[in-house]
Amino acid sequence: MSTFSGGRRVLITGLGFITPIGNDRATVSASLRAGKHGLAPVQFLGNPQIPVRVAGTVKGFSVDSTNPRDWTWPAQYDLPRETLRGMAPHGVYAYCAIQQALIDAGLKTDDVANDDQTGLFCASAGSAMLMHNNLALMHSVRGERGNPMGVVSSIAGTLNFNLAAHFKITGAVCGFVSACASASHAIGYACDEIRLGRLKRVLVVGAEELNAETLLPFAAMRALSPQSDPTLASRPFDAGRDGFVGAGGSVVLVLEEASFAAARGASVYAEVAGWGQAADGYSVAMSHPVGAGLQRAMGRALADAGVGAKDIDYVNAHGTSTPVGDRAEATALKALFNTAGAKPVVSSTKGLTGHPLSLAGAMEAGFCALAIKEGFTPGNPHLVTPDETCTDLLLPRESLTTGPTTVLNNSSGFGGSNVCHVFKRWSS
Amino acid sequence: MSLANLPAAPSQLARYPVEARDAYERFRTTGDVEALRLVVLAAVRDFMPKRNLGATNIELRPEMKLMEDLGYDSLAVAETVFFFEDLFKVRIQNTELFSVRTVGELQKFVIQKLDQAASNPSA
Repeated sequence: MSTFSGGRRVLITGLGFITPIGNDRATVSASLRAGKHGLAPVQFLGNPQIPVRVAGTVKGFSVDSTNPRDWTWPAQYDLPRETLRGMAPHGVYAYCAIQQALIDAGLKTDDVANDDQTGLFCASAGSAMLMHNNLALMHSVRGERGNPMGVVSSIAGTLNFNLAAHFKITGAVCGFVSACASASHAIGYACDEIRLGRLKRVLVVGAEELNAETLLPFAAMRALSPQSDPTLASRPFDAGRDGFVGAGGSVVLVLEEASFAAARGASVYAEVAGWGQAADGYSVAMSHPVGAGLQRAMGRALADAGVGAKDIDYVNAHGTSTPVGDRAEATALKALFNTAGAKPVVSSTKGLTGHPLSLAGAMEAGFCALAIKEGFTPGNPHLVTPDETCTDLLLPRESLTTGPTTVLNNSSGFGGSNVCHVFKRWSS
Repeated sequence: MSLANLPAAPSQLARYPVEARDAYERFRTTGDVEALRLVVLAAVRDFMPKRNLGATNIELRPEMKLMEDLGYDSLAVAETVFFFEDLFKVRIQNTELFSVRTVGELQKFVIQKLDQAASNPSA
């Protein structure tokens, strides 16, 4: 445990899921246990020639229009027009996930509203779709008019702006932008704010939208799988993997200081025992060949949590299913665990969900919390022939019916940002 | 701007009640300003924040103040202005809005603005 924490420990006390593999905790858990993927056929811009054929779609929502008034969402969520007006599509996912997480945590919206001890940390890349629409209008009328909600609905802080206003968050509000490590950064810094005694509770929100504007630029980087069979498209650590599969959704974690949570009788999923980060200093987009930054980030997370490599019994890998990224992570995992004589179960749940970019770290943290609480370990159902770099890793295809006690959750983002968390089964 | 250039069945009104869409069509084809008043009323109702009123089906009267009586905030006013700019392809300056406080003043403003735009297409 870090010395700066003054003995303060951080717990996950609520979860909300809007994901490709389910829009509630029970469905998500069932999908993870059964190895049931949430990938579906997609076609963007009405063009069947685009080599992007499946994605981790969000079911039960319609947010494709550039006009929020056209959007629909599941009927149990009451989203007023004056909140909707400034939102991006992924903001709608996040709004629903927050509502779910608050109920799951046994909290009412009044409990977090105007509470100086509650913060809101968000991970979002903004809405490229709405940004494009706003700027296209600006150019078409030569700058003479524009949608007054254009800025707050589309720039990268759109989640924090809208959710903070709606839920009346007064503790601290901020956003994180480190691409696929964004939500993991949000969890890490939320953990620190609580350990430093600055906040008692943080709602951590990750969200990402799935549309041509968000996803196709990755096709231009040749980072996406062209496969149409979902089981072939997203197969982390398989020798035949050929790129990642995009995904959308939102996951919300309620983090609370342990004594504060205990005082209100909160139910606990897991402890955020520590986290660590380190950078590659290597490439704008590609992973370091041996995952040098990731190795340091894992080591720092373990040290912060006060655990050794041998204590880890499950690793939720970043594993996006790209040739370079998975190889780097496998190499980094072996460097850490083989040296210590440890062999934790490793899986990448992106095989089931696809890769939801800014959301990834929060989504997978939520999965880890479920695994610890409910007693199962997700597998790698699309893995057929492990890559040669993975030979020493324990990569089960089927999920296990036993749960981990200490979990390492990895994320890596563009520019070589690596962020890792350690979650532990809670014992006071 | 001339009425002849206004499109039939604009997408901005697609979700509006049929009376509002009929009123737009009547204004577009005949220049009937009473019909235009009805379009403005429909937009006022559409952009009215519901949390401050509970119900949005109350009768709107010309003397009602957008902010004090109907719960508008400055963003909702800006949204409403942009709606008319986008619907009628006109440009509305901030300074022009200072006099608009009530439903009736907004109706009058939109009528004048379109009249002015029709006589001076660059406005």
